[in-house]
Amino acid sequence: MSAPHVVVIGAGSTGSATAHDLALRGLRVTVVERGEVASGTSGRNHCLLHSGGRYCVTDQDSARECIAEARILDRIMPDILERNGGLFVALNESDLAFKDRFMEGCEACGISAREIPIQTALKMEPFLNPAALAAVEVPDGVFEPFHFCLAFLATAKANGAVVRTYTEVMELVTEGRTVTGVGVRDHRSGVSSTIGADMVVNAAGPWAGKIAAMAALAVPITPTPGVMVTMDSRLNNMVLNRLNRPSDGDIIVPQRATSIIGTTSWVVEDPDLIPIPVEHVAQMLASGRELVPAVGQVRVRATVAVARPLVTRAQADSRDVSRTFECFDHSADGLEGLVTISGGKTTSSRAMAQRAADVVCAKLAITAPCTTQTTPLASYRSFYQ
Amino acid sequence: MTAESVAVDLEVLRYRPGEGSRLENFSVQVAKGTKVLDALDAIWATLDHSLMFRRACHHSSCGACAMRINGRERLACVTQVAEAAEEHQPIRVEPLHNLPVVGDLVVDVAGFFARMTASDLVITRSAEPELPVSVDPLPASLSLRQVVVPEDLDRFIRFESCIECGICVSVCPSMAADDGFLGPAALAGIHRTREATGDATESAHLLALADGDGGVWRCHSSFECTASCPQAVDPAGRIMSLRGQILARRWGRMWGR
Repeated sequence: MSAPHVVVIGAGSTGSATAHDLALRGLRVTVVERGEVASGTSGRNHCLLHSGGRYCVTDQDSARECIAEARILDRIMPDILERNGGLFVALNESDLAFKDRFMEGCEACGISAREIPIQTALKMEPFLNPAALAAVEVPDGVFEPFHFCLAFLATAKANGAVVRTYTEVMELVTEGRTVTGVGVRDHRSGVSSTIGADMVVNAAGPWAGKIAAMAALAVPITPTPGVMVTMDSRLNNMVLNRLNRPSDGDIIVPQRATSIIGTTSWVVEDPDLIPIPVEHVAQMLASGRELVPAVGQVRVRATVAVARPLVTRAQADSRDVSRTFECFDHSADGLEGLVTISGGKTTSSRAMAQRAADVVCAKLAITAPCTTQTTPLASYRSFYQ
Repeated sequence: MTAESVAVDLEVLRYRPGEGSRLENFSVQVAKGTKVLDALDAIWATLDHSLMFRRACHHSSCGACAMRINGRERLACVTQVAEAAEEHQPIRVEPLHNLPVVGDLVVDVAGFFARMTASDLVITRSAEPELPVSVDPLPASLSLRQVVVPEDLDRFIRFESCIECGICVSVCPSMAADDGFLGPAALAGIHRTREATGDATESAHLLALADGDGGVWRCHSSFECTASCPQAVDPAGRIMSLRGQILARRWGRMWGR
């Protein structure tokens, strides 16, 4: 008997990592993605490999998850990371007052943090605001989002997975109260067809609600965009964060030849096309200038808005929603054969995949353990071979 | 509040295997200051989900959205709609040249990536690439460049400048005439790897590759690649430098050095 077949919807970071995990466990896997790999939220993310420092006071579960995953990613995809560290910088008395809680939070979550003299910080970061009052170094990093997804998928393909890009899910096929496949339209050929599946994983990110709705289900996932402003020059070596609770415009992530200021947070209905509020861009530039005054003297290269898939259990300010993830087994809703994995961040996508694959394997009576923590990924370049 | 919206007209080269190609016109509303990629996103989201184009980062870092806009190779994500509309109405959008077309604006990059693999170019290096990577000049009064990595802080690493977008391959006249050619990106990659590696065997292997059948001698020195590279990688300059290194080695041998 051949191995069970799992269809993964979405080739963003979550779907790509899930396909990799399932393929490693010996399942037959087909990934369907309506556009290019990473053409949704994953491609447009902030590129921040979280040390967990950002969440160490306000969301410690998320912080612990981040530091653990950052260490794993450093082992399995070292080639697509810039591990240059990050600084949390105090610019005023309120920031300074936060420092002790920040150090305690890092300690509690196992994130190595050390305060460094301002003069040292300014030497490492010549464009940092010279009026900074304190700087704490943490092991933040930067990744290449497109290559991040391609590397997971390239490895999945090497292990037998099939990846169908430009193939859009039009319906979930059900028999009684069981999902038995997906109806897709292949935009390359214009042909519609059905792909049978023993299990379907909904990894559509902020579009997960649209997929679930095809089976008349609701998932508590709120598309929550953020605006990022990419400057036309690289102004920092390390990730620069404001030493305070997470808020709008408090982080500048360097990536290749750019520095990306982020971010804001609001809720939209439809993540397909997100109008960028002009005041958000102005706000990013203003708060970016506080950390790095030279932001005011460099042109903007691009402004981007993209929706995070936040899991919302109760009404709350979107900044207060935990950045951790959740896996929904829809048998709890009376529908077999469908699992939704959402929330989280790119940094945690391997752990998200592990959770989803654990649920899928338990349902299919597959006992193979997860081995993604220790399996080095293939080159992203081999995806297209 | 969102920015004032403007109407934009595009003609997009549509293609499917077996069906041939045709130009299709689209009109969409986009916010002022929008890029060509945002206009394609708007077409896809509001008019036609079958439009195939590659996209990921939307800020000129991933290299996915390279295409021909009004006959010139560019990254759609940083090409202003207003600028392109001034050049040509409607804005004409076509796939890259010299790579097989999969559908619409999507090209098959398998061969291109295989050549990059052969160049041994890894994307992170322990040293800063030497060339300035900002294409547009910064305000002269400030002469801001990328932040400089202090010499005694050699722990900082950087992604390489080349984003493997394929633009240099599309503009290369030698590539058009000769598909055995390694092409500008891979040869620049070889040059860069030799610059950065301390491994003599790898270095010699790469120089032999550059001197080989698909190597630097097939380049017709048009310098189109350097002129159009969005990341200022200067492939042509690097190809010329490789030629110099190859000749120096031959002369060295001739004189027994």
